[in-house]
Amino acid sequence: MKDLAVRLAALDADASAAVRVIAYFDGLVEAGAGLQSIVRGAAVLAGCPARLDDPARRVHIRVLPDGVASPSLSPPSTLAGPSLSASGLAEPSPALSGVAEPSPALSGDERWPSVRAGSATLSLERPGPPGPVDQMVLERAAGAARTVLDRTRGRASATDEIALIELLIDADAPPDARQRAARHLALPADAPAHVVVLLSGRVRVTAAVAAPHPPHQGPTRPEAGSSRSQSSRLQSSRLQSSRAESSRAEPPGNDRAGIGPAVPILDLPASYRAARTALRFTAAGTDDDPGDPVIRYEDLGALAALATIPDPGAVPDVRVLEHAAATAPWLLSTLHAVSTTISLRAAAARLRLHHSTLQDRVAHAEHLLGWSVREPHGLLRTQLALALSRLHRTPLDGATHPA
Amino acid sequence: MTVVPFDPELGAALSTIGEQLPPALTPEMIPIMREGVALAPVTDDDLRRGGRFTVEERTVPGLDGDPDITLLICRPVDGRATGCVYHTHGGGMVLGDRRTGVPEMLDWAERFSLVVVSVEYRLAPETPHPGPVNDCYAGLLWTAGHAEELGFDPDRLIVAGGSAGGGLAAALALMARDRKGPALLGQMLIYPMLDDRNDTPSAVQMAGLGVWDRTANSTGWGALLGDAAGGPDVSPYAAPARAEDLSNLPPAFIDVGSAETFRDEDVAYASRIWQAGGRAELHVWPGAFHGFDSMVPSAALSQDAREARVRWLNRLFNQ
Repeated sequence: MKDLAVRLAALDADASAAVRVIAYFDGLVEAGAGLQSIVRGAAVLAGCPARLDDPARRVHIRVLPDGVASPSLSPPSTLAGPSLSASGLAEPSPALSGVAEPSPALSGDERWPSVRAGSATLSLERPGPPGPVDQMVLERAAGAARTVLDRTRGRASATDEIALIELLIDADAPPDARQRAARHLALPADAPAHVVVLLSGRVRVTAAVAAPHPPHQGPTRPEAGSSRSQSSRLQSSRLQSSRAESSRAEPPGNDRAGIGPAVPILDLPASYRAARTALRFTAAGTDDDPGDPVIRYEDLGALAALATIPDPGAVPDVRVLEHAAATAPWLLSTLHAVSTTISLRAAAARLRLHHSTLQDRVAHAEHLLGWSVREPHGLLRTQLALALSRLHRTPLDGATHPA
Repeated sequence: MTVVPFDPELGAALSTIGEQLPPALTPEMIPIMREGVALAPVTDDDLRRGGRFTVEERTVPGLDGDPDITLLICRPVDGRATGCVYHTHGGGMVLGDRRTGVPEMLDWAERFSLVVVSVEYRLAPETPHPGPVNDCYAGLLWTAGHAEELGFDPDRLIVAGGSAGGGLAAALALMARDRKGPALLGQMLIYPMLDDRNDTPSAVQMAGLGVWDRTANSTGWGALLGDAAGGPDVSPYAAPARAEDLSNLPPAFIDVGSAETFRDEDVAYASRIWQAGGRAELHVWPGAFHGFDSMVPSAALSQDAREARVRWLNRLFNQ
């Protein structure tokens, strides 16, 4: 009998070739073929090695053109591949791209023709642009692979996703149910994850990418109150996580975010509580509400203890601060700049004020507040009052809900 | 009757195969099939494998005054062969030639240092039973008698074939036993065509489906046996399933697909060898149609089927 491999490998870029390629992959899907069968089909039909890589799901399949499965180098850790999560917050910052991009040796060469299949990538190991049949093979195989991945490896719908995240952050839910939810959300099983709580109430869980954590850096500091700087802040924050599937990624927008520590999957309820706490320390980043729109709980240190105070608005220094702010619109931004820079000169530059103008404002502020803003003890009182004021503005009593 | 689903990879390839080779083959189609592309042509270069084999053809006497027959002989160039595989090709008794199916024999020959001898037997319906099997037996006698000249150990001779060739190989084992012919080390029966009655549940179940369905099988047996097919007086050398005694046969390897006509007759043949106190290894490949490994060699199941044959040969030749 004439060898099918020979016949299919000799396919021309004509209509009958297209029909055969389509029929072949449709047949695989209808019959419930597995991923290796689909990759094998791509390799045999294209006549070159084909591979499917989905680091988030730990799928690495490579098949040679004779149909033999070849060992595929699989990334040893999340360091090696892009971390794909169920709901991403931000693209990796440029500084991190070296970490987040797949290594060529592990998941392919940029010169290879490839097509995305959900969070997976199907590639033909052949340099140069794909021919018409190659492209057809890639697209049909990727479509088939996506179907199988969604069926067998779990791909939560948007509604399911909310329920799954609720499960993940519920300490009372059974551990195995929470592990299963993590798998459905395509979170790596043995890599830590963060909970991110947004002011809008949405909750996200993102896989953490191991990356150097600069120990000296405190909460990121806004340069200005524009939304542009907020979103760039979000990107440069050390969240360093989760490039979401493009189709599912939501722009972070102007939403404020509290970020819990990276923890094992079963500790996510604690990360959720911490993220809620961190969110209360965020600010809009405007002149009326200066401060950082994104706060990592781990950067708060002992300040986190302030969140346990029942009524921060009742603290006398907070009352004084808020009363003063009502009379002097520039007060809060001035105090924030002064308390987060190393000199009045730097604060003036931040505020784009003349040095002497700032000195006048500081003197005015000290008069309104009744304490010195520049000597160390007064600076501490100012910082605490600002922090408590943010806690007062963001009580977060209402339930946040996953989204 | 509910059908057996095809393996996903094999099923997906079947739409392409079906364009060239419909499941049902009728007698009128035989000349067209002989002209056509259903059987992969094997070139001299394919046989020489880059100079690793010498290829020759020998004309040897037929059985009992029958016309001479041609043997295709492929010998490994480097060193003395350890054994020989005597090959009877497939093609439903009506198609194919001595080169059909030889590439897999050469795979084995490279691995185990074997001489490959493949016989050009006369085809039905032009030559009905017993012409084809007698040609095969004549070639086997000549091969066993020329072991020294061909350079292999006469105690390490096996018969092998696929489909109709598997049936012929099984018949050779019966003939060699009954006629005190060459001692065979083993019989490799690849989805063999064994039973002219063509009425097993698998034959009925898979009618009109896959490759070599019940109609095609009827065409093949009708060509070989004429009106006698399925009747009371069919020789076991034509249809080995007819043999009443399956004892004292060389160890058998039998494989077959679960989604083909031959499933039940091949499983029954293995069972009857065991019941007769013999040795047999049986593989039933789930969802495989007839000839799956040659038509879709890249499929996972095809790879596994080939490997199973090689593992049996390894135990046969290396233990």
